[in-house]
Amino acid sequence: MTKISVVNVDKTFRKRGKEVHALRGVNLEIGDTESFGILGPSGAGKTTLMRIIAGLEVPTRGEVYFDEELVSADGAIVVPPQERNIGMVFQTWALYPNMTAYDNIAFPLRNTKQKAGDIARRVEEVAEKLEIGHILDRRPSEISGGQQQRVALARALVKSPSVLLLDEPFSNLDAKVRDSARALVRKIQRDLRITTVLVSHDPADIFANSERVGVVFDGRLVQVGPPSEVYNSPVSIGVAKLIGDINDFECVSEGNTLRYGGFTLPLDRNMSGKVVVGIRPENLRVGRGPNEEADWVFLGKAVVQVSSYMGGVYKILVSTPDHQDETLALISERPYQVGEEVNVYARKGGIMVFP
Amino acid sequence: MTKKQGGRPRAHSIGSVFKYLAINIVAVLWLIPVYAMIINGFKGDLAVTSTPVLVPPTSPTLSPYQAVISALTRPIFNSLIVAVLGSIIATVLGSMGAYFFYSLSTSWRKTLTVLSDAGFAVIAMGTFIPYQSTIIPLTKLIVSLNALDTYVGLILAMLVFYVPTAALLMSIFFAVVPKSVVEAARIDSASELKILFRVVLPLALPGFISTFIFVLIQTWNNFFIPLVLTTTPNMRLVPVAIQAYTGGYGTLYNESFAVAVLGSLVPLVIFVFLGRYFIRGLMALGAGKGV
Repeated sequence: MTKISVVNVDKTFRKRGKEVHALRGVNLEIGDTESFGILGPSGAGKTTLMRIIAGLEVPTRGEVYFDEELVSADGAIVVPPQERNIGMVFQTWALYPNMTAYDNIAFPLRNTKQKAGDIARRVEEVAEKLEIGHILDRRPSEISGGQQQRVALARALVKSPSVLLLDEPFSNLDAKVRDSARALVRKIQRDLRITTVLVSHDPADIFANSERVGVVFDGRLVQVGPPSEVYNSPVSIGVAKLIGDINDFECVSEGNTLRYGGFTLPLDRNMSGKVVVGIRPENLRVGRGPNEEADWVFLGKAVVQVSSYMGGVYKILVSTPDHQDETLALISERPYQVGEEVNVYARKGGIMVFP
Repeated sequence: MTKKQGGRPRAHSIGSVFKYLAINIVAVLWLIPVYAMIINGFKGDLAVTSTPVLVPPTSPTLSPYQAVISALTRPIFNSLIVAVLGSIIATVLGSMGAYFFYSLSTSWRKTLTVLSDAGFAVIAMGTFIPYQSTIIPLTKLIVSLNALDTYVGLILAMLVFYVPTAALLMSIFFAVVPKSVVEAARIDSASELKILFRVVLPLALPGFISTFIFVLIQTWNNFFIPLVLTTTPNMRLVPVAIQAYTGGYGTLYNESFAVAVLGSLVPLVIFVFLGRYFIRGLMALGAGKGV
């Protein structure tokens, strides 16, 4: 329902007399009804970016547009948050502790002076969608974390916002509830077709909810694209590490091969000098015998150092006998004995090289 | 607080013995005047001058209380009206002032945050001005308002001094209210007044009650303002009434003590009923408590 454009946004704070650049030259377009994720390590500026979109922070330089309307400009908030028609779920949920769940959800509607009957109908409708109809008479302190999060989501959705902003909405939930919460948010977003911005440091949140992701590093938006594309073709080793597990190491390339800890890694082009290499665990495989599959290449013989059970699969660390500190981690469906000699293979195209 | 883990529990208990001893000494020192006030109120006219202050009466009598009670009912009634109404108004207005500065200081406009700091500094300085030094212009103001020797005049004069005090205290309590809750209310299109009364104040309720108690005790005990701004015995407040028992030609100590006991009953009762909020308010600050 609303397209968001962030144009050349800079944000600087003054902290103890020092200037801190929270955002530098961020350009971003979030499409109408798109579900967009902002991923970054803590302190990278991702929450600042969301707060600028919300109108809770002012950009030091640059503009923000909702559709074609200018909402924030250089050092000024043109349209205040309450007039942007946004719903926001805060990291701490920010529920009003002195009000029942019902009053929390009804709060935004009461402020717009709607009829009591309409408010009750709307609150019940949203509560039913989020399956919290039975806890509406309880206060936030009397319900579980998962329910609190749903109440916060209901409060954000009840006024039918055109933009939904979610600031680390799952980080305060325990692992069990987190998956169902992610699924619920995705379902709501699809059903209601709301432009959604989700901020998280956890790639799992992004994979579950976002059609596109923007990766923020040190105040800069370094990569934007579908999560799978960012996962498979990250622009830097930093992005690669942020979005998923990876074996990363520095080595020196010689022509079209790399040497690391006794392994020989083939390259699809000639390179020279120091490079950083990343290989995702799922792009590595070990075996006792030879592997005849065409898209797997042999890296060398290695010895199993650690084999740990991870529920259905095994996490295995291998190294060549002469370089025990330089290990590779991979996932195997079969267990291996520590000390066992194995052949190590990598998937072609699975070796990422960053200059 | 054990100094070494698992070892020397004796050192631990000696430390706490000293701690409790010190606390008890302070408590006793603090209680001696209260004790003297209570026992001397029960002494007869002769006994109060002939026995040492800390020695309890041999034949306790209620006559000092009987002598003063009727003279004190009117001042207690006056004090209740002025102190309770004045404190409620001062705390509510002070909260509004504190929220005003809170809003300014969290604004994105730099000029407003500077203005907030400057305004707040002025108010903070204002609370340091001894009120005795402003009593003449204040009296002139109250006279020009035709409010001398009235409840309105007394309450107005109290407000001049205690609204800034309440604002100062409340702004400390507002600082620990989670910012995100206020932001959520703003996004939910609540008016500033609604944010204050429905969101911020309920969260700072223990602080609000602490401030109310503090201001109440200050206004109840204030001697100088009612001394200057009341002219008829009918409008006297408790501290002035107590002082009236200390005459230029002689003092009836037993009656003075009885008056003092009766005069401190009201704040004492309020403190007993609301005291736990007072403690909770202070704890909310110390622990930096969130929601």
